[in-house]
Amino acid sequence: MDRRELLRNLSIATAGVAAFSCRDRAEAERLAADGALARGEGNPDVTWDKAPCRYCGTGCGVLVGVQDGKVVAAQGDPASPVNRGLLCVKGYHLPGFLYGEDRLLYPQRRGADGTLQRISWDEALDLIAEKFGDALRDHGPESVAVYGSGQWTVFDGYAALKWVKGGMRSNNLDPNARLCMASAVVGFMTQFGSDEPMGCYEDFEAGDDFVLWGNNMAEMHPVLFSRILEHKRQNPGVRIVDIATRQTPTTDYADLFVPVKPNGDLALANGILHVLVRDGMVDRSFVEENCVLRRGIEDLDAIGFGVGGEAGERYGFKDEPRESSWDELVEFLADYTPERVAELAGVPARQVEVLAELYGARDRGTVSLWCMGVNQHVRGTWMNNLITDLHLVTGKIGRPGNNPFSLTGQPSACGTAREVGTLAHRLPADLAVTVPEHRARAEEIWGLEPGTIDPKPGYHAVDMFRALSRGDVKAMWIQTTNPWVSMPNLARFERKPGDGSFVVVSDIYPTPTTDVADLVLPAAAWVEREGMFGNSERRTQHWNKMVEPPGEAREDAWQIVEVARRMGMGHLFPWEGDWHEAMYEEYRTFGLGIGKDLASYQELKETPGKLWPVVDGVETRYRYAAGYDPYVKKSKGVHFYKAKSYGERAAIWLRPWHPPAEVPDAEFPMWLSTGRILEHWHTGSMTRRVKELHQAAPEAYVELNRADAAELGIKDGDRVRVASRRGSIELPARVDGRGKPARGSVFVPFFDEHHLVNELTLDAMDNLSKEPDYKKAAVRVEPVGGKS
Amino acid sequence: MLGLAIVALAAGCAPGVAAQASDARSPAVVRASRRAYDGAPPVIPHAPLGPDCTACHDETGVVLPELGFSPPSPHERTQGLSAASRCVQCHVYRETDGEFVASSFVGLRQDLRRGTRQHTWAPPVRPHGRFLRENCAACHTGPAAREEIRTTHPERVRCEQCHAAVEARGTFRR
Repeated sequence: MDRRELLRNLSIATAGVAAFSCRDRAEAERLAADGALARGEGNPDVTWDKAPCRYCGTGCGVLVGVQDGKVVAAQGDPASPVNRGLLCVKGYHLPGFLYGEDRLLYPQRRGADGTLQRISWDEALDLIAEKFGDALRDHGPESVAVYGSGQWTVFDGYAALKWVKGGMRSNNLDPNARLCMASAVVGFMTQFGSDEPMGCYEDFEAGDDFVLWGNNMAEMHPVLFSRILEHKRQNPGVRIVDIATRQTPTTDYADLFVPVKPNGDLALANGILHVLVRDGMVDRSFVEENCVLRRGIEDLDAIGFGVGGEAGERYGFKDEPRESSWDELVEFLADYTPERVAELAGVPARQVEVLAELYGARDRGTVSLWCMGVNQHVRGTWMNNLITDLHLVTGKIGRPGNNPFSLTGQPSACGTAREVGTLAHRLPADLAVTVPEHRARAEEIWGLEPGTIDPKPGYHAVDMFRALSRGDVKAMWIQTTNPWVSMPNLARFERKPGDGSFVVVSDIYPTPTTDVADLVLPAAAWVEREGMFGNSERRTQHWNKMVEPPGEAREDAWQIVEVARRMGMGHLFPWEGDWHEAMYEEYRTFGLGIGKDLASYQELKETPGKLWPVVDGVETRYRYAAGYDPYVKKSKGVHFYKAKSYGERAAIWLRPWHPPAEVPDAEFPMWLSTGRILEHWHTGSMTRRVKELHQAAPEAYVELNRADAAELGIKDGDRVRVASRRGSIELPARVDGRGKPARGSVFVPFFDEHHLVNELTLDAMDNLSKEPDYKKAAVRVEPVGGKS
Repeated sequence: MLGLAIVALAAGCAPGVAAQASDARSPAVVRASRRAYDGAPPVIPHAPLGPDCTACHDETGVVLPELGFSPPSPHERTQGLSAASRCVQCHVYRETDGEFVASSFVGLRQDLRRGTRQHTWAPPVRPHGRFLRENCAACHTGPAAREEIRTTHPERVRCEQCHAAVEARGTFRR
């Protein structure tokens, strides 16, 4: 049937739908008569305003439609350079997450009978001030803690930072971004002396080869993956390489799938370096001009994993870097022949050679991409270092289409956690509490007495919850995150309200975390308040408040400011009325003139965001690159001007292979990996309340390899038990679903509070970033009978 | 017989592939039931039928014997986004009809009024944008199109030649 014939048939078929069309007309007349006729595009009753998406770190621009005081629609913003009008299924369904019928509406305090009872904001804020004040007075600054979020706006994070570090003189401030991005932070800091990538999303149209390291980009960063797919469609020579422990929807689009064992990525990266050096595919002149070499502690016993003995309570391993050399690198890499890598990593030796040829090809741009597979790793910082090493030794860095590019999982992991510096050791703009000059700068900007800020880093996230369980933390405030679903080895952090410590939780919905809180505060969400996020490519984006929050919900930053004022710390927040612009402009002063210059408040209000450093209103697409970055003094090439301690050069690190913290054995013979899926975001507290998303993925499941399932007598849909040394859960099996784990391994998503996979995971950590490894635990799988 | 099947699948019912010819809802109501709001990507109203959605949802739509009419993809002419390359990025299946928590969300409803035209014989102006809807045939031709917006001249393929966009309000002023 040709097109003309088909169209003729369709015209004929039209007659058959007349009955339905009559009902359409009746429906239109009914709606008009009811006065409920909807208004479409261009209707003056619907107002549209820009905001970044609430979910992942891509930072898609969204046009938010508001009608009668409610968010009723969302469109991808065609003016956004990030997504150019496209969203993913979560983004299109953003409006729905605001309107779950169980929104938290009022402050509630848990009574003696264990139930939550409504109280006023004044009572709630007074109570927090009293409890934190008591802890400070009786037990000191180590006894208070704030656990924040990569979903905090810049305002929320800055208010928390200033209150905790400048007001309470504690460094016990850490975000859930510790669980997702900390390894990338330490990776960039150890190599460039400054956090965050040098490239931008334009790399996705400029590169030739895209190497995805443990990164299911099709589901986790779908809009960015679309950009790569479109680039590939227009340029068939573009190649996608998927290095992973399981096949995912990303694999369907890959030119090369590289199966790798857990922790085998360390060996693989070293194997690629080995071949690059062996075959002369390195750019020695680039290295000599722009790089130094460094090496740290490598002894496995000295480093550990942060789970056993004393390190199992407070893990404070510190590296001892020393200078290295090219000759030492060559000697070090001699151990990583393709054949040995094949043993350690499970990657065929020929694939190691192919990957080296890819990285070494001078006429092709190479972009490396990674996210949780690399970061949630007991040697995550080392993996970050090694991937960047591949770009440094080949000189493929700081040019369009040639960059190492870490992606982020939360909307402001970069803008708030990393740039504001809401980490236990950090201050804004790459400053650290451990450096006297940095503390002095913060004290000067904040108008505080010299010596106010404590030089000792506070608890990182996992240790913070260990300290709460021990009773060392007496008062903790958790905002915009759900740790009683997302922390590893959850059984370790079991809590009963009224146990002597005081836990306050600010959120928008009830969660397993509010279930164990002593005080629950209702938060304003997304466009119910003014905000700013910073995305993966250094783009800061502002949005206006568009609708009123429900009930008495208030923004997190307001909650913090009000408590600080009640604790006699009002001098930290001296602004009258609407303080958003004043607070932001104060924060912005930290980065001015040091390569971390953010756009002004007014610039951000008027644009779809800008990439820092922004100097004289001009954003920087490529950091460290001549012709792009105003801080680069050289006329061509790159200049790593932030790496002061390396003589303004980048560091190539020698990092060895280490085994995982736990490996399968006879009792627990399979690997467990965890993660997200396309439809749900993180612990599901928002996306599960969106009908379309819940109906698409109503329940967590365990993905099994077909051969394993057959051997275990498990069929798709069967109920199975997954058990580790720490706990067990029952859930349905998926065989040949969207993901296909390697033989001997399983995958469970973590969005489902009714199937808490973090009952099974291990709280082993990266030695440098202290980020937990959610990707490797030993489990046993067994059928329990019944179908889902 | 085929005509009835075409009508039934075009009106559609979720979940499942089988068309339900007895559905008494109007196409507009069925359409709305598949979308969170007007402009949201519809959920997929049938069970998975294979990895290549565009095998059936192509530029013109496909009549499937015994099943009905598979509407065209509105994105088939979309350039620059690979919008048609990974359909499940935006369109999801339904595995259940339940809800995790009840919701009070009410989305924007589709405007069912006629578009404006200068005079009786003038072509109506286009009241909506074309972004991700470049293939007009998807909504304006065939059994899946509502009567009010179904074109009388599906054989003509350059719609913008006669139907002007509305880019601004108000009138020209010197």
